[in-house]
Amino acid sequence: MTDAGTTADAGRRPARWSAWWLPRGLHPGAWWLWALGLATAASHTTNPLPLALLVAVAALVVVRRRGDAPWALAFRMYVWLGVVIVAMRVVFRIVFGGGQGEHVLVRLPEIPLPEWAAGIRLFGPVAVEQILGGFYDGLRLATMLICLGAANALANPKRLLKAVPGALYAVGTAVVVALSVAPQLVESVLRVRRARRLRGATGRGVRALRGIALPVLADALDRSLALAAAMDSRGYGRTGAVPAGQRTITGGLVLGGLVGVCAGTYGLLDSAAPGYLGLPMLLAGLAAAVTGMLLAGRRVRRSRYRPDRWLPAELLVAGCGVAAAALTMLAGTVDPQLLYPPVSPLTWPQLTPLMLLAVGVAAAPAWLAPPPPVVRVHRPPVADPPVPVPTTTSPGDRS
Amino acid sequence: MSVLRVAPRTAVVLTLASAAALATFTWPFFVPAHPESTARTAEAPLVFLVMLPVLVALTLAELTSGGIDSKALAMLGVLAAVNAALRPLGAGTAGIETVFFLLVLAGRVFGPGFGFLLGSTSLFASALLTAGVGPWLPFQMLCASWIGLGAGLLPARLRGRAETAVLAGYGALAAYGYGLLMNLWFWPFSVGADTQLSYVAGAPVLENLHRLALFTAVTSTFGWDTGRAITTAVAIVLAGPAVLAALRRAARRAAFGAPVAFAAASDRPTELTAGVRRDGAAGAGAHRVQ
Amino acid sequence: MITFDRVTVQYAEGGPPPLRDVTLHIDEGELCLVAGRTGAGKSTLLRAINGLVPHFTGGTLHGAVTVDGRDTRTHPPRDLADVVGVVGQDPLAGFVTDTVEEELAYGMEQLALPPAVMRKRVEETLDLLGIADLRDRPLRTLSGGQQQRVAIGAVLTAHPRVLVLDEPTSALDPTAAEDVLATVTRLVHDLGVTVVLAEHRLERVLQYADRLLYLPGDGHVHDGTPATALTHIDIAPPLIELGRLAGWTPLPLSVRDARRRASDLRHRLAGAEPPPAPVAPDTCPTLTARKIVVRYPGTVAVAGVDLDLRPGEIVALMGRNGSGKSSLLWAVQGSGPRHGGTVAVTGPRGTADPEALRAGQARRYVGLVPQNSGDLLYLETVDAECAQADRETGAADGACRALLDRITPGLPGDRHPRDLSEGQRLALALAVQLTAAPPVVLLDEPTRGLDYHAKRQFSAIVRMLAGDGRAVVVATHDVELVATLADRVIVMAEGETVADGTTAEVMLASPAFAPQVAKVLAPAPWLTVEQVAAAISATRAPA
Repeated sequence: MTDAGTTADAGRRPARWSAWWLPRGLHPGAWWLWALGLATAASHTTNPLPLALLVAVAALVVVRRRGDAPWALAFRMYVWLGVVIVAMRVVFRIVFGGGQGEHVLVRLPEIPLPEWAAGIRLFGPVAVEQILGGFYDGLRLATMLICLGAANALANPKRLLKAVPGALYAVGTAVVVALSVAPQLVESVLRVRRARRLRGATGRGVRALRGIALPVLADALDRSLALAAAMDSRGYGRTGAVPAGQRTITGGLVLGGLVGVCAGTYGLLDSAAPGYLGLPMLLAGLAAAVTGMLLAGRRVRRSRYRPDRWLPAELLVAGCGVAAAALTMLAGTVDPQLLYPPVSPLTWPQLTPLMLLAVGVAAAPAWLAPPPPVVRVHRPPVADPPVPVPTTTSPGDRS
Repeated sequence: MSVLRVAPRTAVVLTLASAAALATFTWPFFVPAHPESTARTAEAPLVFLVMLPVLVALTLAELTSGGIDSKALAMLGVLAAVNAALRPLGAGTAGIETVFFLLVLAGRVFGPGFGFLLGSTSLFASALLTAGVGPWLPFQMLCASWIGLGAGLLPARLRGRAETAVLAGYGALAAYGYGLLMNLWFWPFSVGADTQLSYVAGAPVLENLHRLALFTAVTSTFGWDTGRAITTAVAIVLAGPAVLAALRRAARRAAFGAPVAFAAASDRPTELTAGVRRDGAAGAGAHRVQ
Repeated sequence: MITFDRVTVQYAEGGPPPLRDVTLHIDEGELCLVAGRTGAGKSTLLRAINGLVPHFTGGTLHGAVTVDGRDTRTHPPRDLADVVGVVGQDPLAGFVTDTVEEELAYGMEQLALPPAVMRKRVEETLDLLGIADLRDRPLRTLSGGQQQRVAIGAVLTAHPRVLVLDEPTSALDPTAAEDVLATVTRLVHDLGVTVVLAEHRLERVLQYADRLLYLPGDGHVHDGTPATALTHIDIAPPLIELGRLAGWTPLPLSVRDARRRASDLRHRLAGAEPPPAPVAPDTCPTLTARKIVVRYPGTVAVAGVDLDLRPGEIVALMGRNGSGKSSLLWAVQGSGPRHGGTVAVTGPRGTADPEALRAGQARRYVGLVPQNSGDLLYLETVDAECAQADRETGAADGACRALLDRITPGLPGDRHPRDLSEGQRLALALAVQLTAAPPVVLLDEPTRGLDYHAKRQFSAIVRMLAGDGRAVVVATHDVELVATLADRVIVMAEGETVADGTTAEVMLASPAFAPQVAKVLAPAPWLTVEQVAAAISATRAPA
């Protein structure tokens, strides 16, 4: 999707700016940070007004800055998922809510469940507070989900894979292989399925699975061997030598860190444990283990072709997300009542200037991020260019 | 046969990380109800959301830290692709969760370490293909990885019908276990607080289990899990032996860890067979491919 | 550049050594052609160059292989990646990433080249191979020829001094194969890369080769210039066979060479006539198709084609990729989509339209072997496939096995279908389809990946089927095969029939479809070496 407005704007900007705003794919990490910032902001409020605004912001940025790749269409799916979540929360409150609240809308007949169901009673009075509480809660979760959906639609997952640290290089390569082979396998599933008819087989279900899965699987396994040979021949697996001392250090860091994580988790869940055993221990353990992992990854020697860089635009977009989260938290300390509007007594949700500012900052990437890359005209994937005379390449053949 | 050697240190890392990760699923049973720790209770789920991806990354990095053979890597990538590609097909034709089917069989053939990696890579690739990346993904990856790991740890001696039966049983169990763990993860997020199905902080484990069971029954995920368990078991019974044979054939053709040897040029090539045996034994140690 | 010093290879699983006491030296900048039947050890020879044998495959290597001074005993393939580039048969199977540009960079990333160097080399390589306009394309949407060129480019970015190509065209149709081989020869001439090329389409590259390594299959390697080495090779293109027949030395390596020397042969054949084309049998057609239409979103694949097939007739269906050959075959069989037209086949139970029948019945009227014949096979052994074929067609036990033995005797029953050679797998798939005894047999691109020897066997099988009174259609690009095999040729373009006539009529009318013999002996109407040989012995006999 090209963006005529922004390209025109770019023309009016000073020359050194215009290079940033050339159409290009933004670092996927920047989109994820922005989206996580929005999600964090959403998690700090149940006020439906800023939540609705955040959903609108996510939709706006997606519409203005997504590319034409298949994953860009995922956003709609997330919006529907969000609607389902809100509906589910509300329905759960109605059916299992137990009817707290003063403003009873309707009294549904109660259905007490038998003893084995923990004495739960279905339906009963339905109060406004109850429904509203479910709605607020559900909307918060849905907004967080939709923000993640925005990241899924905006960030190129393949470029994200390129940014994995060295220690995860092998796994990253396996996923890259899986991503490029999977569409081919879908094609071969269709092909084999069609070929099965030629043998008179129309069976469906588990029996068909065997007839289809086995040729596809055998193809895929043969292909894996060819792929491995190609990878070996092209230099896969060149690693630097690691001194024994360093190996011990990295191993110790990972192991020690994990022990810390276990202890920290225990401390977090057991109220009797001393405070330092909780979150601080957990974070320290994680940090140690991650350091060990990153150190171990340094033995992988390779370079990256056209790596995504953190340019000003990336920092700006990520910054917008972080700022939105920070501003919402700030609003929470200033006016907690407005961020978590009470359901009893019933009050109208209100917006504060800080919240509006947070939403505004969150929306800025719709204009600040460079537009997605211009779509190149792809020729249709028809096999070969038509060559009228099959034997003209060798000059000697012309007689 | 094990394609990926799991060193003792890796096993320890795997165990520690799994123990910590299990807590990220089961925390609703253990959160204290004391008022002074409500702040902690509120932050626990968020901390876990951040912690689990790191734990998954750590275990994956540790498993591959010895360097992974290109053949095993290509096999991993291609099988993950098969899982991702067969997923829509399985759902379309018979409601089969083909991921478990192949994961269990591949874990069985290629060993626990490979099974663990395959579980994670399959779901990760599938999520990237369907734009389904989110906080739930590390949890799904880890569950699938445990399934692959477990399949690799089943008794190695079994063959024939007994093997198929054990694998089918394991597949059904794994399908239930996966469903239960994912439900457990989703439970606090989906119902929220204040309903009769929500977890109660500080309540006895049994009571919370009861509520979880009700939640599972109500959201009809139990029926879904049952269907998935049955189709997985049936698929393993019907197609399992053939798929196992295909995988074992691939393992044989790939010649994982086949002895690589070099020898001086023989002056009498007709007597090579004798020379090979001698040189093979001598050279295998020196030049073995990693 | 490449030195084999008394190399013998023995794989771990036993069997005779594929290479036995091989000593050879390939110089810098040579184009070295490796020829031999399937299974003669070509791949082992090529893979030994960069150490895949034995580092990757396992087994024992006696002697030493050195490339650019590096010994493969101490250098595994990954440490030779900057010296030797290897390109395999199926380009798509060897791709690690999914777009052209990323794939070109992958090898350089492994070599840890600096980003600036990588960027420059990718651009250079895109231009060198003429694939700059494909740079963002997903690899799987490219045609076979484009994919193979990308695969070559992907190893060239590491600036190797040796390029090893293992049958790079065997999975391609002739047009794409031309494309790739032209690229390879250009690289030799422009860049001075040493190229070792295993190839079964000898006729395309012979004239450019400096060396010919011939593997007879007993583990030895015959080394020589193409013209001398070819005299005793049992796999040869028609041009060489014609040269041998006429007694030309040295043998002609191109049509141009042959034509300049063929004046005496043309003179000798002046009075003779090729045997008349077989008269079209005057029986009722087994299959009558009228106004077949097949459409896909955005294109019309088959635009109202008529087709009549008579018993005992061998029809070749030709045309470039995407001209509607496959769509027509699938539509006629009833398994593919058909959006218009009628098909009537006279089969075991009267006349019927296969599309209206259940799949199990349709195959009793028309049998189709798809392009990828392995798609039909899913069991673990040849015997199991045969038994399954008997079961699903209700044939007597052993019917399929008997058919298979008639087609290719002695195929081991316990072999895995995937371990068979291309030709054997095709024979098995054909036997499975023939178990249903269809009066019409359709073969979609059956000869792709077959060497001369396997093609000859295939031709015999098709003639046998026609001899049984079946109508056989072979969709193919292979001009030489059609010249020796078909009674009738149909040429399709853009979903329409553009030519339909006897083989001689169609093939001699245009240079595009003329076989090598016709090009050499034009304007005389000779199509095959067999015809010429028969004519020569006939002219000799009276004298």
